[in-house]
Amino acid sequence: MPAQAETARIAVPATPRRWWPASRQGGRDPGAPSWLTLMVFLAPALVLYAGLTAYPVVRTFADSLYDLENMDAPRFIGLAHFLQIWSDETFLRAIRNTLVWSFIAPFLDVATGLLLALCLYAGVPFARFLRIAWFTPVLLSYVVVSILWLWIYNYDWGALNLALRAMGLDGWARAWLGESNTALAALMVTHAWKWAGFNMVVCLAALHALPSEVLEAAELDHCGWVAKLRHIIIPLMRPTLLNLYILAFIGKMKVFDLVWIMTQGGPMWSTETVSTYVYKRAFAWNTFDLGYPSAIAVVWFVIVLAAAALLHLAFRQREKLEY
Amino acid sequence: MSRSSFGWLRAGAAALGLFAAMPAAMAQPTAANPQTVTMWSHWPDEASKRNYVEARVRAFEAANPQCRIRLSFIQKADIYTSARAAVRTGQAPDIFWLEPDEIAFARNGFLEPLDRYVDLNGLEDWARTSWSHNGRVYGLPLEAYTVELYYNRDRVRALGVEVPASGQLNQAQFTDLVRRGVAAGITPLAQGVADRPFPGAYFLEEVLLRRLGPDDYRKLLTGHLPFRDPRVMAAMTWVRELVDIGAYPRSMATLKLGESHYYFHTNPGALMFPIASWYTGRAFVPPESGGQPPGFPLGLMQYPVMDNSDCPECKTLAVGGSYVMYSRSRNKECAGALLNSFVNIESGNQWMESVLLQTGIRTDPSRISGINAPYFRELQQRSEGARFFIGTPLQYMTGRCADTFQQVLNRALPGGQISPQDAAAQMDAACAAAPQ
Repeated sequence: MPAQAETARIAVPATPRRWWPASRQGGRDPGAPSWLTLMVFLAPALVLYAGLTAYPVVRTFADSLYDLENMDAPRFIGLAHFLQIWSDETFLRAIRNTLVWSFIAPFLDVATGLLLALCLYAGVPFARFLRIAWFTPVLLSYVVVSILWLWIYNYDWGALNLALRAMGLDGWARAWLGESNTALAALMVTHAWKWAGFNMVVCLAALHALPSEVLEAAELDHCGWVAKLRHIIIPLMRPTLLNLYILAFIGKMKVFDLVWIMTQGGPMWSTETVSTYVYKRAFAWNTFDLGYPSAIAVVWFVIVLAAAALLHLAFRQREKLEY
Repeated sequence: MSRSSFGWLRAGAAALGLFAAMPAAMAQPTAANPQTVTMWSHWPDEASKRNYVEARVRAFEAANPQCRIRLSFIQKADIYTSARAAVRTGQAPDIFWLEPDEIAFARNGFLEPLDRYVDLNGLEDWARTSWSHNGRVYGLPLEAYTVELYYNRDRVRALGVEVPASGQLNQAQFTDLVRRGVAAGITPLAQGVADRPFPGAYFLEEVLLRRLGPDDYRKLLTGHLPFRDPRVMAAMTWVRELVDIGAYPRSMATLKLGESHYYFHTNPGALMFPIASWYTGRAFVPPESGGQPPGFPLGLMQYPVMDNSDCPECKTLAVGGSYVMYSRSRNKECAGALLNSFVNIESGNQWMESVLLQTGIRTDPSRISGINAPYFRELQQRSEGARFFIGTPLQYMTGRCADTFQQVLNRALPGGQISPQDAAAQMDAACAAAPQ
């Protein structure tokens, strides 16, 4: 009996199950769902996607071709906004700030996350408590994080300046968010602090997944911590670190909340990002023209897409070379 | 067609007619069928203004049972963002709070002219002008203010400086006061610009107005006079000199408007506070709510005048928080009646008495009494003989020029981040009007 059943099972050719509905003319599969059934299940998600994602994107692309200063009489101006953008100094400054933040800060984020993960992996005292404490900022909203760091950076009574003064470094105390040359860096540190816990958790998972025989072999060879980190751990974790970098990069290309609450792009546009500039142009310039901000959004969408694709491609090619 | 089918037709037509007439009938509010007016107001954290508005609304509802008011107090920035999106979609409240620099709402047809609803003769002429567009008035100018220089009498006196009865110091005397304050470890000028685009420029504005006179000052704000004009440069250079002495708090960039009040009167305490006369909204409340301490030696001085000033008696007077009506409101009758209920001398006086602030509604200040009457008299005394310039820079500037003003004159110059030359160049690049 079991042998017969096995033979019968092998004899029946396994046809791949179709995900699409059976056609009216062709052999109708009674098990396949009809178009109607499919649509009933898909429609809510499709309607939400079309209404909340697709339509705004299409509308933004369309609006970028119009002068909408007078709402009742939109004026088609073609690519004029796209030409104007490249002579807009504030936009260029916003691009520069965002790119600096997006390319440089992820190193800080990933390095901090890795460092914290290594501490936990090495079994520092109170590791369980520290893991929770270091992850907590991830759970805080940007508003809370911003207010907290506004206090820390406060010139008169902020923790940072108090610490510097306590160490006798009064000359180093400064208005961290009030000076053009420190404001962007101060925001980067805040952002890194918020996301360090997330990077730490991912790195810790990757550390635990490392092949133990490789690490043990290294220990047998009397390989020190630094050498083990440099020649074994980091190379093995490279895909994880690169993915974290790309995630951080994309997140920073869109950064808005933190900047808006802490500096509103100032002083002197030194922390202006593309997102804050689009918001200002759309909602804070005493105008109703959404055409120009839409053009900026379109340009930035293309740049983010291209940059993410390029990074992905570059990292993939290097991986191919190495392995 | 049978007779009976004509009967059905007639009945149908009658029903349709009734149905069509229903909205018209419903549009007339009655006590049994009241209109509900939605109203968004700023001032959630300014108790005196909030109390005043709530009292007026309650009185209106009591006198007009056919109207119900759903009143919300929302922060200014949130009102602006929400209203800007809501007016496009027909979702804006019937009445909302705006300042005259947002006249773009009227230009785009989102505001209802108030001429039909409000007794415009009950408004001050200058206040009406601030809300005029194409000959129509669009806002009820409830709040008005002058730009004042408050000071702590005791602290200034302790530094050995006696402010004259006229409240007027000249350039050298003022510079000396700032130096003495810094030497004594007291911040001379409290100021915070973290959440507002304008207070950091108050001092410069007032000095410029007096130096240039109203005509040239207007030209400067509208891009017809360059910021590189020698008189403007001299004023900016003086301001930068004061900044370098240490006139402003180092934490100015992250200090919010509300916090700067507390900085001035309580902790750490400053000598002076350049702010509009709506100082009272936050300061004249109990200390536990952030108000100034009891018996605080508050004084009002004139802004210093530079040598060779063209108009030492000039002063800024502006319309602030106002109420406007949404053009697509379906409750215009009640909304208009509510706005009109603010426009009478009793209401204006009540505003001044309780809020201690000027208003664009016609008033009779001689009738003002109460425990804060002395303050109000001093406020009036500081404006006696003044030649008013109507409006603040941001009511004249828009777009890139306003943004540059916010970044450069509001933040960077008083923050010591930019030289007067660079500041002037940036302002000219952003604000210069097209040649005519």
